[in-house]
Amino acid sequence: MEELILELKKQIIEALNLEDITPDDIDTNAPLFVEGLGLDSIDALELIVLMEKNYGIKLEDPGKSKEIFKSVATMAEYIEKNRTK
Amino acid sequence: MKKITAYCRITDRQVILNGKEPDIAFSGEPGSSRLTEIYRYLDAGYPKFHKMDNLSKAGFLASEMVLRALDYDRETPDGSTSVVFANKSASLDDDKRFQATINPDNYYPSPSVFVYTLPNIVTGEVAIRNKIHGETSFFILEDFDAEKMHTFIEWAFSSPGINRVLCGWTEYLDNHCDVLVMMVEKESPKGMDYNILNINQLYLN
Amino acid sequence: MIYKLSDNIISSLGFTTAANYKAVLEGKSGIAPGKDAAGNPIAISRIEPEIVEESFRNTFKTKEKYTIPEQAMLLSAHIAMKEAGIQAGSERTCFVLSSTKGNIHLLGLPTHGFGQDRVHLWHTAGLLAGFFGNPNTPFTVSNACISGACAQIAAIQLLEQGRYDHVVVTGMDLAPDFIVSGFQSFKSLDEERCRPFDARRKGLNLGEAAATIVYGKEKKKGISLIRGSIRNDANHISGPSRTGEGLYRALQTAMDGIPAHDIAFISAHGTATPYNDQMEAIAFSRAGLQSSPVFSLKALFGHTLGAAGILESIIAVKALEQGLVLPSTGYEEPGIEGDITISTALSKTDKRYCLKTLSGFGGCNAVLLFENTL
Repeated sequence: MEELILELKKQIIEALNLEDITPDDIDTNAPLFVEGLGLDSIDALELIVLMEKNYGIKLEDPGKSKEIFKSVATMAEYIEKNRTK
Repeated sequence: MKKITAYCRITDRQVILNGKEPDIAFSGEPGSSRLTEIYRYLDAGYPKFHKMDNLSKAGFLASEMVLRALDYDRETPDGSTSVVFANKSASLDDDKRFQATINPDNYYPSPSVFVYTLPNIVTGEVAIRNKIHGETSFFILEDFDAEKMHTFIEWAFSSPGINRVLCGWTEYLDNHCDVLVMMVEKESPKGMDYNILNINQLYLN
Repeated sequence: MIYKLSDNIISSLGFTTAANYKAVLEGKSGIAPGKDAAGNPIAISRIEPEIVEESFRNTFKTKEKYTIPEQAMLLSAHIAMKEAGIQAGSERTCFVLSSTKGNIHLLGLPTHGFGQDRVHLWHTAGLLAGFFGNPNTPFTVSNACISGACAQIAAIQLLEQGRYDHVVVTGMDLAPDFIVSGFQSFKSLDEERCRPFDARRKGLNLGEAAATIVYGKEKKKGISLIRGSIRNDANHISGPSRTGEGLYRALQTAMDGIPAHDIAFISAHGTATPYNDQMEAIAFSRAGLQSSPVFSLKALFGHTLGAAGILESIIAVKALEQGLVLPSTGYEEPGIEGDITISTALSKTDKRYCLKTLSGFGGCNAVLLFENTL
């Protein structure tokens, strides 16, 4: 799980162009949206692409996505259970 | 008499702000990384910059330098300034990047790339950064044309309540940057006369 | 103030304004089931390329090859100019092109054989003016979905400054994979026909169209474009302002002096995305227009991007001329918070003014004020 969390942080930084941030700067359990990294609606859509591209997970329901993208921890948990890649 | 009260020129060779070259140490070739070097030099504290495409970055940086030179108040909503840019290649630089994300063999359309496949987004980025509520517009020309630029800028001034137009040429394609951003003001005691000759001079310099 | 001499619409509903307007009155939608590049179902209003090609072949005796978007654009301009009876090649005539992506489909066809410059909008505009032998460099507007309004505002400027007698404003956008994929990545498309302002609205439908208006400066009875205004939300590059700031400011400027109760109707942007429709309602209310009937045409034509501002203006002013308020197709269940009057049935009006509103990526908003002089 630790390896996945580190990998995921690196992928998030790259996908969302978080240039001045390192994996160490991202608190695994902190909120990704509103507070924490302060991601916005386009970032959320880009995370949906990340899930499919890197882990083969298709997210069709935007409502469900909110829960999954709450934090890096919730994302990693969901990936562990549902990944096809 | 309208005046050009500040201008910034960014090309592959140099950066000029109001006739002077800021002391920016560039390493490497012209292109995207050079834009990041200008950003770091400005210490703008605006992480959204890194999400922008190259066209938006280039236009944003030139605008940032012009507005700083004028001590512009970016905290107060401003309904009397408009942003009017033009270029040759529209958003083709980013269009090509988006096309690469819809390759049939590797089909993952990227929303953060798609949003920049419209040339006017750079005017939106400048408006958001500076709370500018006037007009934002974008025109396409085959080549830089000071007379046509003058025409668009005059159109912007004819809208009620508009006293200032942040305007210029924002061309970026395949690591080639050709940007001139000016602030033109309806009433100002200083600055150079706003006319086609001077627009041309600033571009050709 | 400038005067409309003629117009044309080319869409899946027909190749003349008359055919399109008739379809609108019959409530006929051009939106049909389709698929995106990944095989997912979408609802979209597509023009059949074969019909464009046939019409082009029958209209013009030329051996030159043109792309489908170019053919649609040229046909539309030709039909409108013929009806207006103007000299397309005159140096007193000027062209303005409105398009967001033009020939962008060429990026996905590396062996298209049309040359490198063909993908550029300046080339498309030059081709438009040059095809009709016009000596003036055309103007090209690329301001996201409000381009069609910007182009008409440019026409006001060009005619009022006195250099030209006629301005031909043409808008064109098709919906190739490039555009469909992009909107899919935004999850902003409805798989079914869209429902502007409705509680169940899920997103927009894309549409393809070319549309033209020929404007002149000589006073005449009928439709005139009084003024237009463009203002920015300064909020987010793809999401509208929650307070409708830019649209409200544009409404204030465009309506200046005309009271809300003289406005027959508002032909809104009404894309049926959750946020756009709500934002428009807030802006209308702030501008005192909460009692003015509102309709959207997006469930009939889809969102035709660079053509939208021109196409939807043509339909709106046709209704205004006939003293009619169109119903807002796709609307059944109220889905907007706050005060707004959605037009639910065809009705009569004797009011002289109407508004056309548009909003686009980049936070831009545009309003056009039209008058019907009897």
